[in-house]
Amino acid sequence: MTPGLANPAGALALGAVGVLVVLHLYGRRRRTVPVGTLFLWQRVPAEPLDRRRFRPDLLFVLQLGLLLALIAGFVRPYLEAATPAAERVRLLVVLDVSASMQAREEGGTRFELARRRARALVAQLLTGDEVMLVTAAERAHVLLAWTADHARAQDRLEALEPLDTPTDLAAALELALGERRARPETQVAVLTDLPPEASGVAHEELAYVDWVQIGRSDDNVAITGLSVEAPPFHPAGDATATVLVRNYAHVERRVVLEARVGTETWARRELVLAPRGAEPVLLTDPPADGELTVTLAVDDALAVDNRALAELPASRPLDLLVVSASRELGAAVGKLGASVAASRVRTVRPERLAEAEPARAVIYDRVVPPGPPRAEPALYLEPPAGNPVCPGLRPVDDAAVIDWDVDHPAVAGLDGLEALTLEHAVQLVTPSWGSAVVLGATARGAFPLLVAGERDGRRLACLGADLAGPLVSSDDVPFLVLLLSTLRWLEEPPGGAALLVETGVPALAGSGVAEFHGPGLQVAGDPPVLLAERTGLYRVGGRVVLANLFDDRESDIGRSGGGEWPATARPAAASAAGTARRELGWWLYLAAAALLALEWSAWQARRPRRVA
Amino acid sequence: MNLDLEYLERLTLRVRRGMGDRPGDRRFPGRPEPAGIELEAYAAYVPGDDLRHLDWNAVGRLDALLVRRFTAERELVVHLLVDASASMAVPARDGKLPLARELALALAYVALGANDAVRIAVLPGDGATRVSPLLRQRGSLARAAALLAAVVPGGRLGLGAALETYVREHPRPGLAIVVSDLMMEPAEVERGVLALRARRYEVLLLHVIGAGELDPGREFTRGVLTDVETGATHPIVLTPAARTRYRELVAEHLGALAALAERTRAVYARLATDASVREFLSVELPRLGVLGRR
Repeated sequence: MTPGLANPAGALALGAVGVLVVLHLYGRRRRTVPVGTLFLWQRVPAEPLDRRRFRPDLLFVLQLGLLLALIAGFVRPYLEAATPAAERVRLLVVLDVSASMQAREEGGTRFELARRRARALVAQLLTGDEVMLVTAAERAHVLLAWTADHARAQDRLEALEPLDTPTDLAAALELALGERRARPETQVAVLTDLPPEASGVAHEELAYVDWVQIGRSDDNVAITGLSVEAPPFHPAGDATATVLVRNYAHVERRVVLEARVGTETWARRELVLAPRGAEPVLLTDPPADGELTVTLAVDDALAVDNRALAELPASRPLDLLVVSASRELGAAVGKLGASVAASRVRTVRPERLAEAEPARAVIYDRVVPPGPPRAEPALYLEPPAGNPVCPGLRPVDDAAVIDWDVDHPAVAGLDGLEALTLEHAVQLVTPSWGSAVVLGATARGAFPLLVAGERDGRRLACLGADLAGPLVSSDDVPFLVLLLSTLRWLEEPPGGAALLVETGVPALAGSGVAEFHGPGLQVAGDPPVLLAERTGLYRVGGRVVLANLFDDRESDIGRSGGGEWPATARPAAASAAGTARRELGWWLYLAAAALLALEWSAWQARRPRRVA
Repeated sequence: MNLDLEYLERLTLRVRRGMGDRPGDRRFPGRPEPAGIELEAYAAYVPGDDLRHLDWNAVGRLDALLVRRFTAERELVVHLLVDASASMAVPARDGKLPLARELALALAYVALGANDAVRIAVLPGDGATRVSPLLRQRGSLARAAALLAAVVPGGRLGLGAALETYVREHPRPGLAIVVSDLMMEPAEVERGVLALRARRYEVLLLHVIGAGELDPGREFTRGVLTDVETGATHPIVLTPAARTRYRELVAEHLGALAALAERTRAVYARLATDASVREFLSVELPRLGVLGRR
C-alpha cells in the first residue's frame, strides 16, 4: 500500500488553520465587560488575563479537527496498492456517431442505445482499469485518451452527441487496433449500426474486437439530391430545381414534399414512393430568388435527411465593357449581349479606356493596358506575351480541352467542354494569383487554357484564345458557354454565391472565408478548407454555407441480422503490474461531518441558558 | 412601551397599610372613625362627638352613651420609586430599565384604575430625585409615561440614602413600590426599607434582574469587569469553577434580599429580564397577595 495525494495543491488550504488560531486569539483578547456592580464578582477569585498565552479549549480542538478533516478530504489522499497484471483491463470503446445513429429504435435512438451500452462497459471497470474513447464518423476522433478516471469518461459519453456525417469506421478501427498492437492487453469494443463486414478492416483483425451492432429499422425516406439549374444572366423565374426523394423502407410510403424560397412557399407535392423506390421532382417557376429549403413531411426513423438546402441565385444582367482594337469583335460581343435580356455591352478602343464608364466586368481583347488596373473584374483574352498579368508562353495550333476543374465556380455545372477544340490558342502559365481551371493540350503537351483567381481583391481570368472564331461560327457553342460562365463568375457580387457542401466532405472554402470554428462547421487551413459536421445554413465571414446530407449509405438505415460478435481472440495479459487506487476523501468528509456535530453539541453546551 | 390594558383592567392592588389622609375609596379596617358608611365598632361618648352618631337603642337598653364608629375610607397613595442608576443599563442587551419602566407604568395604571393616587419618583445615580405630582386620573398616565421615558440611567445610587431622603420629603404613608436591580449590599437596601417602614409605608420591593446577571456566561467568558457606577475593575476568566462560585453568590444575595423583606415586613418579588411582565403581574404578584382580581 502506498499513500499519496491526488490534489496536493489543496494543502495550501492549511493556511486556514492560522486563521482559526488568530480568530481564537482574537476571541481571547483583553475585553472590558461593563457590569452593574462588582460587589459579587469581587468575591470570585480574579484570573490574570494573558493574551499571549495560547490555551486551546475543547471547542477550539474540535474546530481544528473539523478544519483539518476538511482540508485532508480536499487534498484527496489515497492508498495505492499493486494489482496483479491479469486483473487489470484496458478498454478502448469505438462509438459510431454518424448520421444513421440518429435513427429511432425501440428504447431510443441508436446512438442513445450505443451510449448506454458504452456507459455500462465503463461502469463495469474496476479502479485502476484504463479506458479510451474514440468516436467514428467521417473521420476518427479521440474523445478521451487513456485514463483511469472513469467518472470523466462517463461525463464525456454523456456530453456526446451524434453528427450529421457519413461513417468511416475504418480509420477509427485502425486507430483502435494500433493501440491493441502496442498494448496487447487492450480490449476493443465497437458500438455501431454497421455490420462487421462494413468495418473496412481485415476479417482476422476483427477477432480482437467486440462488435455490437445496434438497430434494425429501415423506416426512412430521404432527400438524396437537390440541384438548382439557373441559366447565366437569366431572370430568377427561369431557374429550376430537381429534388430526388428515395424510400429506403421495404413498404410503400406516402410523403409530402414542400419547397420554400425564403419564407415563401414554392411548391407542395404529395408523393407515393414504392418500396425501395425513388422519385425525382422537378420544381419550376420559383417565386423569388434566395435560400431554397426542401422538406419532407414524414414520420420516419431518421429526420436529418428529410431536409435539404440550396440557393436560387439572384438574376443579374450582363454588364460588360469590351476593350478591343477590333471593331468586328466589339460588334460580335454586342450581338452576344443583345441575346441576353437587359444586358449592356459597350466596346472601347484601348487608347480610350480611361474615358469608359465602369462596368461589372471588362474583357481585354489581346491587350493588357499599362498603368494601374481598373477596379472591375477582368477577363484577358489571348493576352500578349510578356504582360505582367497573364504570362503566356507561345501560340499553339490545333488545341483541345482535355480537363477542367469541376469544383471551380467559374465552370461549375458545365458539361461538354471536352468537345471544345481551338484552331489557335495561347499556351498560358499558371500565375501566382490563380489556378488552372481549364487545361488544353496539343500534340506537344498540356497547358493551362483558362486560369482564374483573385488579385488585389478583384477577380481575374485569362483565356488563351480569342473570340474572333467562335463568335462568327455556330459550331463553337461550348466556347461561348465557357465564356458566359466565366463572365458570370467574374460578375458575382462580393461574397459570391452560397457554398453548397455535403456534411463530412471537406471543401475549399474559397476566398473571403476566414478561419471559423463553430458548432457543426469548421474552416481552417490555407487555402481555407471547410468541413461541415451538421446540416444547416451557416454564415462564415459574409459567405453563406449550405450543408446537406446526401449519402445513400447513411440514409439506408435498414439492417438485417444485427446483434453482437464477441472477440474470438482474447487480449494478452498485461505486461506489467498495475495499481489500484483507493481514495479516502469521502471518509474524511464523513469524519468532518461527525466533528461538526460534536462541535455543535459542545457549542450548545457552552451557550448561555436561562436560569430559573 | 405597549401596555396590554385589557388584563390590567381586571387587577387591583391589595393593601393593608399605608392609609392616606384624604377620604377615598380604600377601606382600612381596624382604625374606626367617627364618620363613614360601614359600621365597625362602638365607642363611649366623649364630649365633642357628633350626636348624630349616638346609638339611641343602646342608650335605651344599656343606659350608656355609645357612639357608632365606622371603617376608615381613605385614599391610598402609591409611590412608584424607579431606580435609574447606571447599573440599570447593564448588561445592555438585557434591558433592565425598559422592563422597570413597563412594570412601573403597568402598576400605575392598575392603581389609577382603583382611584388610588400615584406618585412616580425617579431615583437617578446622580442629581436630585425627579418626582411627579400626585396623579389621580387615568388620563394622567401619559404624564407618567413621559416622565419614565425621559429617564436616562447613570451615576451611582445609594438606595438607602435615597429612600430616606424621599420619605423625609413625603412623610404621609402610602404604598411604596421600589423597582430596582438591587445590585448592592443587602444592608443598603434594608436601610431604605426601614426608613419607609418607619413612616408606616407598606413596601413592595420589585427586583428587576438581568438574565446576564443570573448567568454571566451569556455575556462573556473572560475579560476585565468594570463597575459602571464606581469604575472599579476586576479581571475574570469564567471558568466552570468561577461560574459556579458566582452562581452561589447570586443565590446567596437573592436569599439575603428575601430575608430582609421578611424581616422588615416588606414584600419581595423578582422579575428576570427574559420573563414576561404580564405573567409577573397576573401570576407572581397575585401569588404574593400584592395584586388581586377585582
